[in-house]
Amino acid sequence: MLVCFLCALASGRPELAQTAKPPAASPVTCATCHAGVVASYAHAPMRHALESPGANPVLETHPDLTVQMGGYSYTVRTKDGQSTYTVSDGSDSMTLPIRWNFGEKTQTWVLEKDGNLYESLVSYFHREKALAVTPGDDRITPHNLTEAMGRKLNAWEINQCFNCHATNALDGVKLKLDTLTPGLGCERCHVGAEQHMADAIQDNFATLPKKLKTMDAEDAANFCGQCHRTWDTVLRNGWKGVVDVRFQPYRLENSRCFTGNDRRISCLACHDPHQPVNHNDGLYDSKCLACHGDTKPSKISTATAPPAAKVCPVAKSNCVSCHMLKVELPGGHAVFTDHMIRIVKAGEPYPY
Amino acid sequence: MPMPGPVVPAPAGKALLILLLLVGLPVIPAHAIAQEQFPQFEDVAARAAAARDQGNLPLAIELYGQAEQLKPDWAEGWFYLGLLQYSSDHFTQGIEAFNHLLQLQPNAPPAMALRGLCEFETGAYDDALRDLDEGVQKGAANEPRNEQIIRYHLAQLLARAGRFEDALLQYQFFGAKHIDDTDILLGVGLAGMRNTTLPKDVPAGSREFLIAAGSAGYVFLSGDSRQADELFNQLFVRYPTVPNLHFFYGTLLFMHGPELAIPQFQSEVAIAPSNPAAHAILAYSLMYAGRFAEARPEAELAVAGAPDMEMALIALGRSLAETGDPDRAAEVLNQVLKRDPNDLEAHMGLAVMYTRTGRREEAYRERMVCLGLRK
Repeated sequence: MLVCFLCALASGRPELAQTAKPPAASPVTCATCHAGVVASYAHAPMRHALESPGANPVLETHPDLTVQMGGYSYTVRTKDGQSTYTVSDGSDSMTLPIRWNFGEKTQTWVLEKDGNLYESLVSYFHREKALAVTPGDDRITPHNLTEAMGRKLNAWEINQCFNCHATNALDGVKLKLDTLTPGLGCERCHVGAEQHMADAIQDNFATLPKKLKTMDAEDAANFCGQCHRTWDTVLRNGWKGVVDVRFQPYRLENSRCFTGNDRRISCLACHDPHQPVNHNDGLYDSKCLACHGDTKPSKISTATAPPAAKVCPVAKSNCVSCHMLKVELPGGHAVFTDHMIRIVKAGEPYPY
Repeated sequence: MPMPGPVVPAPAGKALLILLLLVGLPVIPAHAIAQEQFPQFEDVAARAAAARDQGNLPLAIELYGQAEQLKPDWAEGWFYLGLLQYSSDHFTQGIEAFNHLLQLQPNAPPAMALRGLCEFETGAYDDALRDLDEGVQKGAANEPRNEQIIRYHLAQLLARAGRFEDALLQYQFFGAKHIDDTDILLGVGLAGMRNTTLPKDVPAGSREFLIAAGSAGYVFLSGDSRQADELFNQLFVRYPTVPNLHFFYGTLLFMHGPELAIPQFQSEVAIAPSNPAAHAILAYSLMYAGRFAEARPEAELAVAGAPDMEMALIALGRSLAETGDPDRAAEVLNQVLKRDPNDLEAHMGLAVMYTRTGRREEAYRERMVCLGLRK
């Protein structure tokens, strides 16, 4: 988290921030005082949730991508740091510059034509290292080149896309395409970080951003769910089916073991958003055993923690390999971990 | 007949309906019924069909009537008789014919919709709403060319019944299709301004404002949010103290995100501080946006003004659950559930109340109830 242990102190002036105070001429950034966490976050996927032209290693590595789909051919070509997206029906073609890259490895592009923004109808998929139809757009039957190029986005979708993939994207409800910062910067989660930075340099530590690390499970699910979708959001929209495996806070809250006031089942108990996701199943054992171990509840349990949970009779390692299944997302060309923690019965359908 | 001209011009609209509502009606051909036992019926039915084909409506009505006397369970005959009566502006007789048909085939959406249109014309608005609402739910508007006339009448009736948001959803169809007739704009204006008057009864002096408000709403519904925003802001300048104008814009914005709507509802509350509905929708929007501490006092005000308003109770119950008053939250949410045991938002509120107080099993149970109630 960008709120270091010093900032998390209840009061007083953080000593490290004092000693780390930069020379007056140096540009002040979050890294000035929080170098370690900023350095690790530089490699986290959220930091690269959106990239602008010239900052796309994926397309640099694959400079000539093509796919034939539904009577149209698509080409994504990259040269000298600039990428173009071309769609052709055999007689006519349309070429647009790729202005916004959404996603770090698997990518969808937002294209601009005649003042409107479009979601590219094809995306790049990391697993296949190839182009294919953008998830959800397989229902679209294009009638012309523009429709084949992409799905026109309405103002509300655009706001949502950029608000979750960029920082300072919105001023109220107004999108600030020209001044937003691609990817999730510190300020996106740590609201007030910029003010804190400005104040801290003046030795004023009264304006610390809210401490996110202390959120309980319910608050963390709602916080992360702003973009990863909350339980409320999924329910209210009536979303159902395997596609909801992408909505981890929602799935987590459907777990029998989820308790809103217990930090041991919080998103942050398992995930450090400043680090890339760790896919080593065994790494999460200690998190499961914090409740399901045969020892007393850990120190991080709350005062009102429920009685000790059942101990697994089968194993005490690689818990998630059995209790959090890997699910292929239809049309997503990727496998997601189902965060609905449960005792999985053989042959049971995906529960939703 | 006072039909909305440009939506579906009266004669053409009816003719279209006559042709199109037949699609999907499970009818049994007259000759199939009559071949063996009713030679006289078969003859009359054939003559009725011929008169109908020739456009001789009075004769066709007479002959279908005779045929039904000979064979009262002939569904197709009742349908044509009702349709012809409707086309001849004989709405009461049309209702009678559709009553017979719906006794034979209770789930015939086209007949339901046609009876609803007849009832609308006789002024039996509650019956018309019931029939059109059910007809649409069962697919009466699925045929694109029927959709306009059915949805337009349904939208008017929904607004008349105070179901303004449902009415706007019906009008959304016209926005999406760019059907911007003055009657539609007036209807949108009435629904948006939470006015239960039918368009035909609007006093001349109110039309200009309602059409202007409806135009702004229509532009929004047609997808041009930028222009709609300009139009609404012009209206706010011109009519700074008119109640429900900010409510209208907020309701439209809510469809795309509660946080977008909140400033409009806050303005509405400033204009009409004693309107419980305005406090309730503001509280509800704040609840949706997760701003529970702000939602709570608004919900309290709404409930104080309208103790039975479901939206206000849900907002209050949920915000109590989220701000540390689980006992009162349970009391308020259970009050909602007593009236409607399947209220999703009330169950969601209870789930949160349980999970925030560490009552894991009860929270899990409520969550599973919610999953079952999800649309």
